[in-house]
Amino acid sequence: MTPQTDASIPSYTLNCRMSQETAALERLCQVVRIRGFRIARMAVESAGDHLDIALTLEGSRPIAMLQSQLEKLHTVVDVALGQGAVVRSRSA
Amino acid sequence: MNGAQHILDAFHRHHISTVFGYPGGCIMPLYDALVDDVGVEHVLCRHEQACALAADGFARASGKLGVCIATSGPGATNLITGVANAHRDSIPMLVITGQVPSGLIGTDAFQETDVLGMTLGIVKHSYLIDDADSLPAIMEEAMALAQGGRPGPVWIDIPKDVLLTEVAAAPFAATEQPPSACPDLTDAIHMLRAARKPLLYSGGGISLAHAEDSFRAFAEASALPAVVTLKGIGNPGKHNPYNLGMLGMHGSRAANKAVDECDLLLVIGARLDDRATGNLAGFAPNAKMIHIDADAAEINKLRTADMAIRGELNSILERLTDALESKPLTIADWQKHCRTWHTTGGFSAADNEEPLAPITGPAFIRQLSRIAPDDTIVACDVGQHQMWVAQHYEFDHPRHHLTSGGLGTMGFGLPAAIGAQFADHSSTVINVTGDGSFMMNAQELATIRRYNLPVKLIVMDNQCLGMVRQQQELFYGNRESQINLDDNPDFVAMARAFDIPALHIERTDQIRRGIETILAYDGPMLLHVAISREDNVWPIVKPGASNREMIDETRRTSTANKEHVA
Repeated sequence: MTPQTDASIPSYTLNCRMSQETAALERLCQVVRIRGFRIARMAVESAGDHLDIALTLEGSRPIAMLQSQLEKLHTVVDVALGQGAVVRSRSA
Repeated sequence: MNGAQHILDAFHRHHISTVFGYPGGCIMPLYDALVDDVGVEHVLCRHEQACALAADGFARASGKLGVCIATSGPGATNLITGVANAHRDSIPMLVITGQVPSGLIGTDAFQETDVLGMTLGIVKHSYLIDDADSLPAIMEEAMALAQGGRPGPVWIDIPKDVLLTEVAAAPFAATEQPPSACPDLTDAIHMLRAARKPLLYSGGGISLAHAEDSFRAFAEASALPAVVTLKGIGNPGKHNPYNLGMLGMHGSRAANKAVDECDLLLVIGARLDDRATGNLAGFAPNAKMIHIDADAAEINKLRTADMAIRGELNSILERLTDALESKPLTIADWQKHCRTWHTTGGFSAADNEEPLAPITGPAFIRQLSRIAPDDTIVACDVGQHQMWVAQHYEFDHPRHHLTSGGLGTMGFGLPAAIGAQFADHSSTVINVTGDGSFMMNAQELATIRRYNLPVKLIVMDNQCLGMVRQQQELFYGNRESQINLDDNPDFVAMARAFDIPALHIERTDQIRRGIETILAYDGPMLLHVAISREDNVWPIVKPGASNREMIDETRRTSTANKEHVA
């Protein structure tokens, strides 16, 4: 998908817990990309059998659509959306 | 048992008796284990893509898990189109590939590819096994995942050393999942009763959920006018008086009209695909929508549902049927309107009375539909012939119509027909294909011959890529580009080279004899049907346009300006 060029694109924070497995992060990032979002920030912490991933995402599509697609991943345990969308200026 | 033997053990425990594959270096331990195995029939196709598509056809026709096997590197990459095809149509499939030995992964070893990485977007889930003891549990989990919920392909990539390692873990015993509770349908039933012009819209999710019978019972009890997607063809049954047929880009005028006019759309097991809805802004503009699906991610994805119901389709349909049987809907006027539209705007193709006239695609398919036995399975390829089958063949069951809906994979039909014939040895299986599609997996004629499968092959040959030519004619100012196939091989001679008898027809008066001859023949046979290069599929909605803007033969237009075709 073509990167967003709009000056004001909604930004979201999304916290995801998924099982430690081969290609876990690639799987997550692939879904984020193909569903139309850009990763602005990503922090990953290993917690035993799980990975806790905090994402800041930008995209103009409904974030609920991405959330439901991530929840379908077999190894995703939980997806929590941060409070409300923030509209950020890309040029700021 | 070593890893390879554990795989076969899992097949036995799950009653998987047919797999499609092609051997090679890193998967050789599994093929070695097959030598001593009894109970699993391995079907050797002639290309890995055909292995995956045959497993897909097997799964579609049987409702069971399709299994395909290949080696690492090119074996695995050749599977990709077939696996993507299964993914887009939610077909339950288990894919097993060999991988280079664990210690060589990441060293650019011979026939090494990062198959896990390159297939992430076309699988429901995937594994690279790094511990032989995890193999039994992963096999069990993979088979359950592939078939559970919304089905899909699950890929297990297994390094060669894992296949050879003695596995300490015992075979894994799966636990039965309790059935999910049926959601509350009270409000949905109220909405149905309040609607004056309700319309039933069903798709491939019905057969994926094994809900064919409960859907049929609901369609009959509700007497709702019904439209179907390409993958939903056959859901209502061919004798349902309110079945308006397929909607969408090549749907019937009646089906698209009903969608346009309805005030409630009851969507069951369908995902509102763009080829079905056309431009969403103009889709069902007067309707509220109840969306019932097994996959929560499909609900509200493209259009917000007024009522969303996620759950197991059988239990939902049975509850709806009970409610409407006890108190039927009162929609007689709407039913009458829809039946009138079906009479005047349904698919129709007059049989040509002129015996020497050239054969037209629709007339041929209508004759085929009348002559072929009721339990015939038709595996299509992709293109004009695919749409003529969807429009003019009267299917009575969705598993009788095998078509590549989501991916639109040319070359699907022949291997899918092979898979279907292995799934059902007694039914007639016909591959209806075009000259373009046929050449994409024509090597599988050798597989048909090897196993003496009585598959009937019908090649509708217009000596071009007809669907592309049609869109170039209508939407690109008739500027033909790279669609000419008039140097096709002699298909009759080609079939005979594979020891498959073949027949050529080109006139209307030869249709019946041609069809009857191949159906009567005890074994595989090819019918080469010459059709006009200029025939188009009507009606058509321009890609991206609203379904209201159907173009039919009488309103045929060509735009001079080049426009984007999705």
